[in-house]
Amino acid sequence: MNRRSLLCGVAALPFLAASAMAQQATVTLVAYSGIFQDRYTAAVVEPFMKANPDIKIVYAGAPNSAQMLGAARAQKASPQADVVIMDIAVSKAATDEGLFEKIDEKNVPNVADLYPNARSPDIAGVAVTFDNLVMIYNSEAIKKAPTSLAALADPANKGQVAIPGFPDIQGLSLVMILDKVNGGGGVASKFEKGVDAMAPIAPNVQTWDPKPDVYTPIINGQATIGIGWNARSQVNSDASGGKLKAVIPSEGSVFQINTINLVKGAPQAAAAAKFVNYALGPEAQKAFTESMFYGPTNAKAPVSEAAAARTALRSIDRMIPVDWIAVAKVRDAVGEQWRRKVLPLSR
Amino acid sequence: MSAGAPGARGPMLAVALLIPIFAVNALVFFWPTFNLFKMSFIRGEATGALTDETTLANWTGLFRDSFYSELLVSSVTISLVITALTLVLSYPIALYLHRARGLRRTVLLVLVISPLLTSAVVRTYGWIAILSDGGLVNSLLKALGLPAQRLIFNTQGVVLGLAEILMPYMILALLAGFGRLDARLEEAAATLGARPRQAFWRVVLPLSLPGVMLGCLLCFVLAVSSFITPKLLGGGRVFLLATEIYDQAIVTLNWPLAATLSMVVLIVFGLALALYARAARL
Repeated sequence: MNRRSLLCGVAALPFLAASAMAQQATVTLVAYSGIFQDRYTAAVVEPFMKANPDIKIVYAGAPNSAQMLGAARAQKASPQADVVIMDIAVSKAATDEGLFEKIDEKNVPNVADLYPNARSPDIAGVAVTFDNLVMIYNSEAIKKAPTSLAALADPANKGQVAIPGFPDIQGLSLVMILDKVNGGGGVASKFEKGVDAMAPIAPNVQTWDPKPDVYTPIINGQATIGIGWNARSQVNSDASGGKLKAVIPSEGSVFQINTINLVKGAPQAAAAAKFVNYALGPEAQKAFTESMFYGPTNAKAPVSEAAAARTALRSIDRMIPVDWIAVAKVRDAVGEQWRRKVLPLSR
Repeated sequence: MSAGAPGARGPMLAVALLIPIFAVNALVFFWPTFNLFKMSFIRGEATGALTDETTLANWTGLFRDSFYSELLVSSVTISLVITALTLVLSYPIALYLHRARGLRRTVLLVLVISPLLTSAVVRTYGWIAILSDGGLVNSLLKALGLPAQRLIFNTQGVVLGLAEILMPYMILALLAGFGRLDARLEEAAATLGARPRQAFWRVVLPLSLPGVMLGCLLCFVLAVSSFITPKLLGGGRVFLLATEIYDQAIVTLNWPLAATLSMVVLIVFGLALALYARAARL
């Protein structure tokens, strides 16, 4: 008798668990895999789940924004994801195809506290992280800390420069900075002066396609200087015990923007909006900036001075404004100049 | 129970046996390929957004921009060079293996196949370690007082890396095609007064041609479609169809152009197959 009731109880357990699960909304978040996933899960996703036990976040990692767009396109008829974090240029394409829901103060109140450049009428989502281009170098090979992009053209660094070249937006960003410094006309002139300014750098370049990323060859000394993104450079700097160092060039830098987006027709729309609101709130923004050194997009995020100094927050005056959506329209033209003028100089 | 019964059932049985492979191919090859074909006629925005409109611009653009014809020529040329190099490196090994017997043959065969157990990514990184500026070859050159050479992040590196990676395929294809090669024919040639070189050119090589053609077709197709090795060893300087398709699809987000280029690769494959079929009949 006793044994029988115990068996019945055990048999009923899965059903009890299932009914508890039914009350828990499962939100699928699609964002970058790798170190971004690790840090974002610890800094934002887990604290959110602790504060909202009724919502479970499943983080589905993807290696790049294009694959996220591919998945969103394939699932347009019946979306599986609720929230997507991706590069702003890709989110523009997704917006134009009607894949995302517009985010504003009405469905996500924390939008009101975002920096003005975190919002754009052309895209459905809003900025969730600001990153920026930095010059990176191996501090054991290069003793005197470089400050200017001129170091990339220094004959002492011949064959030692690693630049993720066009069509990667890091190479494109470098062209945009050089265009500005040399008095170019930006988008209107298809960054021609910026491409021309690559001429003294090109002969120094060892690889235009560093693998697995630009940080690894610089840390292991295969290359000694290059360009990369600030957040990953800061993380790699710590991981390499300061071997890799990053500096915002004296010529200035540009922002790379990741947007957070609500999928149209998402299975858990309400819970997803709640998560997006949290991700844009001061607490999550502070936590992720202090974990991975992406600049916060919420103006009220109380970021510690130590972390802020490792982002572009204290160098805003050196940041060159970029309209990534306008840039996308002249990208092919820049690519053509790049192949004609830059690559032949670096055979 | 008549003798004709199995023959009559033959075609039906063959069809039944072919259905699974046809179904698999229809699902994972013909259907996606058809979708790619459709995609190549879709008009995309500069931002990467796809529209509902159709256009021929993706195809006409290939002819208007000389970059794409150069891309096609360089892809085919580099693949041919890789195929030739692979053949030259593999032929003696395959011939030796063909003649080896017993345990020696088994051990050597395992050695030939064993690189296939490691992924091409790992083997490519191996080449980076060997060929990079501070790598094995350049350290040796420096020790001998010679100037260091740039061996990777250019066409040379891609050719060398891919040739090594494709060697097992070439050797296996050659071995499969060496069936008609009988050691007694060489002995016969020798007794009739042929010098070893003559015997090779007049007897061994012609008899091994089916294997050579099969191996070349296989390596050419694998080289044209290879992506990881050119990406890792090309340093952004070597432009091939496969790497350009990746860039257009993943970085520039121009899916219609990527689809068009994929169709071009398919056409190159078709031509290679047609050439092979023609050569095999001769």
